[in-house]
Amino acid sequence: MSARAAVRVLGTARGRKGSPAVARFTRHRLAILGSVAVAALLLTAIFAPDIAPRNPLYIDLVVRFTPPLHGPFALGTDPLGRDLLSRLIYAGRISLTVGFSAMLVSAVVGTAVGTLAAFRGGAVDSVFMRVTDVGFSLPSIFLLLLLAAFISPSVLSITLIIGLTSWMATARLVRGQILTVLKLDFIEAARAGGASDLRLILRHLLPNSAAPVVVAATLNVADAILAESYVSFLGYGIQPPLASWGNMLNNAQSYFVSAPWLAVFPGLMITLAVTSINFIGDGLRDALDPRLKI
Amino acid sequence: MKRREFLLATLGGVGTAVASQALRGGRAVAAPQKGGQVIVGLSQEPTVFNPLKPHIEVDRGVHMCLFDALWRMNPQGQFVPNLAATIPTVENGGISTDGLQYTIHLRRGVTWHDGAPFTAADVEFTYQLIMNPKFDAATRVGYDGIASLTTPDPATVVLKLSKPYAPMLALWSDTYIVPKHVLGSVTDLNNNVFDTKPIGTGAFTFGERVAGDHITLEANRKFYGTGPYLDRVIFKYIPDLTVMFTRFQTGDIDVTGIQGITVDHFDEAKRLKGVTLHTGPTNFVEYLWFNLGRPQFQDKAVREALYLGMDKQSYIQRIYYGVPPVSESYLAPSSWAFNPNLPKHEYNPDKAKARLEEAGWKVGGDGIRAKNGVKLSFSNSTTAGNKVREQAQAFLQQNWKAIGVDMQIKDMPAAVVWGDYFFKSQFDSVTVGWNIWGEAGGDPNVLNWFGSGYIPVKSGKGSNTTQYANEKMDRLAEEGVSVVSQEKRKPIYQQIQAILHEDLPVLPIFYYVNIEGTKAGLQNYQQNANLVSNVWNANAWWWAK
Amino acid sequence: MGRYLMRRLFQGGAVLVGVTVIAFALLHLAPGGPLAMYTLTTSMGAEDLARISHELGLDQPLPVQYARWATNLVRGDWGRSYRDSRPVLVDIADRLPGTVELMLASLLLAIGIGVAVGILGALRRYSIFDYLATTGAMVSLSIPTFWFGLMMIFVFSVSLGWIPSGDMYSLGKPFSLLDRLHHLVGPVTVLGLVLVAPWSRYTRSGMLEVLYQDYVRTARAKGVPAPRVVVQHALRNALIPLLTLAGVQLPMLFGGALVTETVFSWPGMGRFFVDSLGYRDYPVLMGILIFTAILVILGNLLADLLYAVVDPRIRFG
Repeated sequence: MSARAAVRVLGTARGRKGSPAVARFTRHRLAILGSVAVAALLLTAIFAPDIAPRNPLYIDLVVRFTPPLHGPFALGTDPLGRDLLSRLIYAGRISLTVGFSAMLVSAVVGTAVGTLAAFRGGAVDSVFMRVTDVGFSLPSIFLLLLLAAFISPSVLSITLIIGLTSWMATARLVRGQILTVLKLDFIEAARAGGASDLRLILRHLLPNSAAPVVVAATLNVADAILAESYVSFLGYGIQPPLASWGNMLNNAQSYFVSAPWLAVFPGLMITLAVTSINFIGDGLRDALDPRLKI
Repeated sequence: MKRREFLLATLGGVGTAVASQALRGGRAVAAPQKGGQVIVGLSQEPTVFNPLKPHIEVDRGVHMCLFDALWRMNPQGQFVPNLAATIPTVENGGISTDGLQYTIHLRRGVTWHDGAPFTAADVEFTYQLIMNPKFDAATRVGYDGIASLTTPDPATVVLKLSKPYAPMLALWSDTYIVPKHVLGSVTDLNNNVFDTKPIGTGAFTFGERVAGDHITLEANRKFYGTGPYLDRVIFKYIPDLTVMFTRFQTGDIDVTGIQGITVDHFDEAKRLKGVTLHTGPTNFVEYLWFNLGRPQFQDKAVREALYLGMDKQSYIQRIYYGVPPVSESYLAPSSWAFNPNLPKHEYNPDKAKARLEEAGWKVGGDGIRAKNGVKLSFSNSTTAGNKVREQAQAFLQQNWKAIGVDMQIKDMPAAVVWGDYFFKSQFDSVTVGWNIWGEAGGDPNVLNWFGSGYIPVKSGKGSNTTQYANEKMDRLAEEGVSVVSQEKRKPIYQQIQAILHEDLPVLPIFYYVNIEGTKAGLQNYQQNANLVSNVWNANAWWWAK
Repeated sequence: MGRYLMRRLFQGGAVLVGVTVIAFALLHLAPGGPLAMYTLTTSMGAEDLARISHELGLDQPLPVQYARWATNLVRGDWGRSYRDSRPVLVDIADRLPGTVELMLASLLLAIGIGVAVGILGALRRYSIFDYLATTGAMVSLSIPTFWFGLMMIFVFSVSLGWIPSGDMYSLGKPFSLLDRLHHLVGPVTVLGLVLVAPWSRYTRSGMLEVLYQDYVRTARAKGVPAPRVVVQHALRNALIPLLTLAGVQLPMLFGGALVTETVFSWPGMGRFFVDSLGYRDYPVLMGILIFTAILVILGNLLADLLYAVVDPRIRFG
């Protein structure tokens, strides 16, 4: 879903200039709301074993399809009588892990490719950018499915697949940013001062191009969580009995009418998480670099 | 129920004398009314219209409407003539007493959709095409045992076999005859006009295909048999089963085709108004299919313990809503070869544990049993996305964990599981529904499945992916296909079923039940467990207004 | 300009070659194969599968298969589908109208709503409307499409009976424009709403930027009515960068269309891709990948060129 990230990075919200980044971010009310929500979700995921009322994998067919607020099950049970609330909490672990790890993969790959292309220039640049173009010219959902068909699905493989199909936007951003920075005087000064390439990249180039990467990366987390649910919908997702919000939602489809709570809660969780992260991304863009544009 | 029995009598015949008499006998049934269309929803898209090419079930349904075989198997398991005038038997002289010669008399006056007459030459051509090395035929198994096929006159076909082959009638019931005057003159046998404009003798003619969406068949007004009463049949492709059910609910489709309504929608479906639900048992058996090449499964005690440790009752009653009947055999009770005296399954985790202890499988520190360094741990795979089955897997996982056995779920897309992974025996175990009876067109033959000479990874042929090898089984299975008389075959197959139940190379779980819905006014819709598609008698369908 | 075009086209060609190599390798190295679909449903045994695999050339080394496929492609032969034996291009051409109809209608809806919401948001910055619109657009971007689609079907088709639950048109009935439009409502709402967010945001920020520029302020000061200022000055300039958005959105549209087509039983390219992937119908998969790659490359090029035409400040070197 890198295209989504690219599209959103295109958008710029200008106007409120002059205040420091933190202040700008805190003035973005929706971003603050989003941050609170994401923090809550992350804490729940981290402390899942302490918070979850029961074992998310324990099957008890006698109590299957218990509606919410019946008996001991706050959010009801699923078709195998597993506690839905506990499953949602544990699923958050998987979905958020996939989201954040996939983001890391795409940020690292994208930054590396973008930096090298810009810094080395010439043939390296051409090759790297053509590879990026190849990635861009295939709809990422196609690439995602191709790769998913390749590997038997696990948390790790799904993460890698999503990460490896969403680094292209970051690579382009970073390359553009570094090319701009490279023209600035202080780089010349640093070079003249005998700074090594690595030092140049780590000390000067990357920090000065961090803003767009951070924004794109945030949006990538949201996209990765959504991507996981799409892959799940199309039958290439994370394996049972492990729960992710995506496969819970997918498995609930058959019970839309007979047990709607099964579909409503995971759907809400995905929407909540993705919206919140998108708002944070929005806020970050305003805060870090109001002039940000591809 | 009486009405149903009556319908059974009228339909199978596709226009036999019996059928028309019964209709004229006119019990309480109104005369069929002409007109209207039926939209059949399918979860896979039919795309192969040459019935001799490799195809899948949904393709077969279209073939049944467009084409005819010499005869067809009815829901009672009897052959009913289509393009043949009679069914050859030893009694009527159609089959020689040594089982080596078949004389088939064809129905006269049948024409192809384009008006050309149907003759024995078409049957001969169909056989030749199957055996033609330049043609990508679906299979030549069975046909390769035919020594010669001759046509002494335009209405007679004579088959001579090199050795007796009991499933020969079944084979021809699934061999749809193609027109010589169309396919005989094409330059490329594999890709030609017949793929997009098929011409048959069936009750419906090919209308159009809107790729990815639907196929329209129009009534063949010159059809030789009963009907067709409908103006057209439309096969509508609906990729998602939940969506399919919804579309049936909203009345957009008239019939839910293969896989129809999944068990988890059954209760909802029962509450729908203005629809008729058809639930008939099929010959599909759900199995836990072991790969005996794995050391854990070579030990018979393990297979027995796993069967004992499986809570089959809850598996069926709860996860499958009690819809499918429990199975102990690869054959359904409706088959003439079914063995009703097989021991009943018993769920007894304690006995399972004892059996494993006794065989030397001891519980390790992690709670999983092991013997001689082999852990009692394995994976189970099936097509990803089959949700009810995924639930069953998770349930089994918990069942077997309780007896110290570790099963991991490793589901994959169909193209992966059922490719080399399955056929080259790379799996540990799979959960799968097979219709062994139907694979041969309605015959109990198991050679291909459990014969030791039919292990693909060893001999490059067959479907014995469990790698089961048992000399007694080999002998019986060979004997079973070389004897033609049903009476003599019956005890052989009963013994085969007993051996399979004793050895447990596969664990039988239940018989699939097809839950299908039709709009209430549709008459004569009838499930046929002996065929892969229930549009088999679409010629007799009609709308009561 | 001419040289620029040549260079871009050459680059596009190189990218295409890359697409074919990567896609071909991925597809063929993936486990499973096109024959798996037959093993479950018919009486074919291992010997039949081996024979057909040989006839399709699947038993040859991968580079040989690629070379043969690529040679044919250069000659204009895209191969035939394993599933229905028809030429791949014919198969694609059959699916194209459905997808184009769905995508265009959704894009129009997204642009319509997005631009309107963006303008209003910019004119009434930080109003309740602005917040609601921003939040609404963000939420619609964040809902899983298939979930949204199924919800739509359950509410508006099953419960209320307002819209058809799928299909492009009523089967077995004569053509009717109204019927077609009626069938478009569901899928276009689902696909269109996902795309609204970028359009509304981009319009909003573009408008804000332009609204505070001197010439707009001058126009306003001169007493030009507000709507005219918006249309004549602000909107025109704010829309320029939006052109690129259409190009960038193309791959995203494909992704959304794929899921929407599945939910609404819509015969389009996305669904065709998923089906063909399920069957491992290699020639079709390669065909779709190349076809979309060409579209995307041309789409981007066109967007860049248009950009130059509309904004004379841009020069290509």
